[in-house]
Amino acid sequence: MTNTHTPQLEVRALQKHYEDGSIHALCGVDLTINAGEYVAISGASGSGKSTLLHLLGGLDTPTSGEVLYNNALLGKTIDLDTYRSHHVGFIFQAFHLVPTLRAIENVQVPMLAVHPNNCDRADRAETLLREMGLAHRMDQYPNQLSAGERQRVAIARALANKPSILLADEPTGNLDSVNSARIMEMLVGIQKSLGMTLIIVTHENDIANSAPRHIRMMDGKIEQ
Amino acid sequence: MSIQLSFTRFALKNLWRRRLRTILTLCGIGMGIGAFVAMVGFSRAFEHEWLRLYQSSGTDIVVLQKTFLNTTVDESSGIKLQMLPTIADDTPIILNMMDLTPEINALVYGWRANSYEFGSLKLTSGRLFRDGQPEIILGDILTNNLNKHLGDTLDIEGSIFNIVGIFHGGSALEADAVIMPIDQMQLVASLQGKVTAFHVRLRPRPLNESPDHYIQRSQAAIEAALPGLHAIPAAELASNNQLVTLAHAVTWGTSSIALLIGILGIANTMAMSVFERTREIGILRALGWKRWRILLLIQIEAAMLGFTGGIFGIIVGWSALRLLSTLPQTASIVSASFPPMLLLEALIIAVLAGLIAGAAPAWRGAQLSPVEALRHD
Repeated sequence: MTNTHTPQLEVRALQKHYEDGSIHALCGVDLTINAGEYVAISGASGSGKSTLLHLLGGLDTPTSGEVLYNNALLGKTIDLDTYRSHHVGFIFQAFHLVPTLRAIENVQVPMLAVHPNNCDRADRAETLLREMGLAHRMDQYPNQLSAGERQRVAIARALANKPSILLADEPTGNLDSVNSARIMEMLVGIQKSLGMTLIIVTHENDIANSAPRHIRMMDGKIEQ
Repeated sequence: MSIQLSFTRFALKNLWRRRLRTILTLCGIGMGIGAFVAMVGFSRAFEHEWLRLYQSSGTDIVVLQKTFLNTTVDESSGIKLQMLPTIADDTPIILNMMDLTPEINALVYGWRANSYEFGSLKLTSGRLFRDGQPEIILGDILTNNLNKHLGDTLDIEGSIFNIVGIFHGGSALEADAVIMPIDQMQLVASLQGKVTAFHVRLRPRPLNESPDHYIQRSQAAIEAALPGLHAIPAAELASNNQLVTLAHAVTWGTSSIALLIGILGIANTMAMSVFERTREIGILRALGWKRWRILLLIQIEAAMLGFTGGIFGIIVGWSALRLLSTLPQTASIVSASFPPMLLLEALIIAVLAGLIAGAAPAWRGAQLSPVEALRHD
């Protein structure tokens, strides 16, 4: 069960510099996100929203500052690979499906990292794809799927290891308005039904404003 | 039935995505392993035939100069050998490789008509030669290759010999050979009073003495009686004679180069594959795959290339070896038998070659940062 008043992710004085320190992507960000929250992060290009998402998801390491997951320091108390495989599900703008694998196999990729000897991977993947309305598309390769279908496969993949946090980086960026609305409806539905924490990075105001909590980024900082 | 994804299936799909490159790489490693199997198989079969040559006639010790090539022993040394208590029988031999026709060369032996070596041969037609006569007997394989018959003549180094018998040999080194009286061989090879070596059969060993000790004691007695000569156990000479060691060295050297080319082919394929899949590796890392899992996946792909290339190479090498055993030029020194251990060795070498070749690309892939890899175009 999720306690919506429990801090799940805590960010303290987070800084991220690139190019030998000449580019400051994040300049001292402090942030707390509670378990089960739905948070949208918006901002102009280069404002640091994707960098923040990458650090929250353990995809990258900060130049200074720290990220805590349930009071465990990322990269120290909890190793980043384990954090990504067990606790976080990623959804990307470009879908990032493996082109040589069928939809049902793509959903099993994260499970292969956690349960390599489990024989139920295919059953779990099939269930998730059915829930995404893709029962008839399971054996298709990514290039045989529409953009909306690909993103639904990516959502199923993100849910494969039953994470507690769903991170979506511009999940509707490559979709038309109809598919965008459907994907957002799905993500919000999943967040509510499973009580997951949902953090979406978006540049679309409609999506950002529809979230219960909206964080605006500018020049590597959270706008007050 | 839902499709279950496994590491092996994932690796296979990665290899199959660039079919042409994978097939060409398999051809490369296959040819390398094929060359290894054919050449090492050839040299081992050669060694095996030497051993059979001694074993089939019951030779225990060979007495010769320190080296085997272009050295001779005085024929008179045989008298001293006969006086030694552990020696049951000894026989001088001359051995040489000679051109019989422009296309066919063969081993030519000079034996005495009463040599115990004849015990290992089966005369299929005609009779044995007589000492002092220009007579020869031919191995059945060589008879066919030369298209000769009993009663025909054969020109050897300018001398005409009558074919008086045809035999089936105990080893390929005999079945494709000519045997003539040792005195005639001395004339042909200008070796009057000289022989290549003496083959020695020992008396039954005393019950209270080990075989090794008995051989060593006999060796010491022979070397003491014939200073300057060496008495070498037949089994040791079969594997260590200069012809065999030369064959081993040449085949290992050549097949190592072929294997190196195969390894470079796999390394190139895996390096290209990892580079092309940088973003995919980033996806796997983002989904929580640990570095060692990425390393494992790429190494499984490399090992699969090695294994499949190895199977292909074994088929190629085995076919080449079969072909060599039937060619007139090589049938005398290689039999159609195929050492089973060679298959295992070839397969292990092929898989190891894949793993070595895949190590650097796998390491590079495993070191990729998820964010950097995802940004890769």
